[in-house]
Amino acid sequence: MTMRITTQMSARTILRDLNGNLDNLSNLQVQMSTGMQINKPSDDPYGTSRAMELRGELNGFQQYTSNVNDGTAWLNASDTALSGMGDVIQRARELTIEGGTDSASPQSRSAAADEIDQLIGTLKQEANVQYAGSFIFSGTAIDRPPYGDANDAFGGNTNAMQREIGPGTNLDVNVDISSVLGNGQTPAPGDDKLIDTLRDISADLRSGNGDALRGTDLNRLDSNQDALIAVRAEVGARTNRMTVAYNRLQSLTLNATRLLSDTEDADTPQTLTDYTTESAAYQMALKAGANVIQPSLLDFLS
Amino acid sequence: MSLSTFSGLQVALRGLMAQQMALDTTGHNIANANTLGYSRQTVDMTTMPALTLPSISGNNGNGVQLGMGVDVTQIQRVRDSFLDIQYRSENMQYGDSSARADALGQAELAFDEPSETGVNQLLSNFYDAWSAVQHAPNDPSARTTLIRAAGTLASAFASVSDQLTRTATDAQEQYDAITGPSGDVESMAKQLAQLNTAISHATAVGQAPNDLLDQRDELLDRLSGLAQVSVTQNRDGTDTVDFGGVTLVDPRAANGYTWPQTLTNPGGQLGALQALASPTGPAMTYKGRLDGVVAELVRNVNDIYSRADGRNFFDPAGTTADALAVIATDANLVTGTDTTSAGSDDIATAIAALRGGQVDRNYASLVAEVGSDVKDSDNQQRIQLSLLDSIEQRRLSVQGVATDEEMTNLIQFQRGYQASARVMTTLDSMLDTLINRTGTTGL
Repeated sequence: MTMRITTQMSARTILRDLNGNLDNLSNLQVQMSTGMQINKPSDDPYGTSRAMELRGELNGFQQYTSNVNDGTAWLNASDTALSGMGDVIQRARELTIEGGTDSASPQSRSAAADEIDQLIGTLKQEANVQYAGSFIFSGTAIDRPPYGDANDAFGGNTNAMQREIGPGTNLDVNVDISSVLGNGQTPAPGDDKLIDTLRDISADLRSGNGDALRGTDLNRLDSNQDALIAVRAEVGARTNRMTVAYNRLQSLTLNATRLLSDTEDADTPQTLTDYTTESAAYQMALKAGANVIQPSLLDFLS
Repeated sequence: MSLSTFSGLQVALRGLMAQQMALDTTGHNIANANTLGYSRQTVDMTTMPALTLPSISGNNGNGVQLGMGVDVTQIQRVRDSFLDIQYRSENMQYGDSSARADALGQAELAFDEPSETGVNQLLSNFYDAWSAVQHAPNDPSARTTLIRAAGTLASAFASVSDQLTRTATDAQEQYDAITGPSGDVESMAKQLAQLNTAISHATAVGQAPNDLLDQRDELLDRLSGLAQVSVTQNRDGTDTVDFGGVTLVDPRAANGYTWPQTLTNPGGQLGALQALASPTGPAMTYKGRLDGVVAELVRNVNDIYSRADGRNFFDPAGTTADALAVIATDANLVTGTDTTSAGSDDIATAIAALRGGQVDRNYASLVAEVGSDVKDSDNQQRIQLSLLDSIEQRRLSVQGVATDEEMTNLIQFQRGYQASARVMTTLDSMLDTLINRTGTTGL
């Protein structure tokens, strides 16, 4: 079909083409200035929901990472305290052995007993360590110190404090310190745990009961130390799990970041190339428009 | 019967007049080259009825028919009414898709996704805040942050919901403005009725009121964007116009039109607006889905939160996006089922673990659905625009003014005029010879 081409048609065609070019240019401009290829859901509906999902995952990973860091710090504080308790047991052991020799004088035994009493204080101090304002050995009763000065009873509870280190994976960050330190000597005669042992050692030193010191006291101290080591080993194992979880989260975060970037970030070289091409097309359309509209028969009539 | 001496002058005069009329029409075309809806006009010229001259001598045949010059029978507009029908049908579709695309675009903006301030991010902040509370259950600043984050989330939901409702009410308002008293429909109907009257008067005396017809067609084009238009031409030149299923313009009606009426089958922009404003329209459907997301969130969070002492975190009655309300305060916030120990955090842990759950997924799928609806309607609009454009190009090809063509006509008719003038001069000088020089031999 041969068409009559009228003045308005040429003008409309030129305007439509220029509009199309400008529309494309403006889209590319938005992509370049935001650096994103998805600026509203309709740009890529599937990509948008994928990006939202990935962003959610990424936020989750960041949260888990923060949980892991918090848990690790908690466990490290526990480990330091437990190590301090280990030193206390070492010192108590030395004092018990020294006090247990028959050549030990009553004065030196009494001095040793004083030091043992001090050591119990140190032990409680270690147990009352706080992390970020919480007593870490009080179970969930984080606002109460596990041991008071007045008595030797455990003031916390044995509930677990947990950190979520992955979807559905929780790790306990606290340990039950009462399984090592015990409740002292109430109810009598005591629970054979560390504080009870130390109280007995102190009493035996004062009474000069060398047999008990050499025998049962030392044995009980050893088994208390074993209990402490078991708890420390548990803390160490959990710290390791935290480290593994941290590394895993780092690589998951990296992956999710890369996927998210692939989904929603504009491909800069591609966008720039597209922009240049589109811009050239726009220039050409302008030029063509100017050339088509300008001349008419009028120019050639005198 | 013999020929009048001066009949040649009449022939030349008619030639002059016809060429002049053609020149005037060319001028009219050029002047209206850019007038919207204008159809170019052409002058129909035919030969005058011939004068039959008997032969002077019967021996030499039957005489002749002498041409008596030119006659202008009519000035008509060049227009293809079939293209008008196509144009109006596509324009209705375009009106529909364009109103839909506009409203959906508005709904899409309501979600403000993907962004750092959209519901998606705020949900994530809400979970983060629960995690922070879990890390330090007795830290008042963590509790305050949580209550704030929950409040921000609630107002973001309310804002999206509000914007979606506004999309629907905007559509209704626009519908009311177009169909209301002295709205577009009424004003166009009134003009159409007036044009009908003027056209029927002109038609009654045998004239073709080209410019009035153009104006009427232009009005019908505009009307067709609003709703389904169908036109019946009457014998007297008037048009009866059906609009959206009811008779809008009818020369037999009191004022020539009947409005307001309830459209039974609108289509076009009005149809789209009606659908958008309806409770089952896209905006309200999205709002319903959003309410579903909120209800799920309230249920999930409260189920966990109430394990401690039966109290709720969110108001259990506020299960729509605009009614989501936090009733827990930082003072009475519980973080675990064991309310006697400050560090009990199983509730905080469980709520923080809702991250990436059904609520997030439902919301993301809602946003994706809105996005793909908008994309579809944008595409639809683009397709309709290009269809409409191609029909408009074809219409302009038929009825538009081509200046080069008019210039050519201008020269052609100018030459015709000059030639007719020359005929007259020639006849004049012939008559001069006859009148002033003949029979002067004896003088």
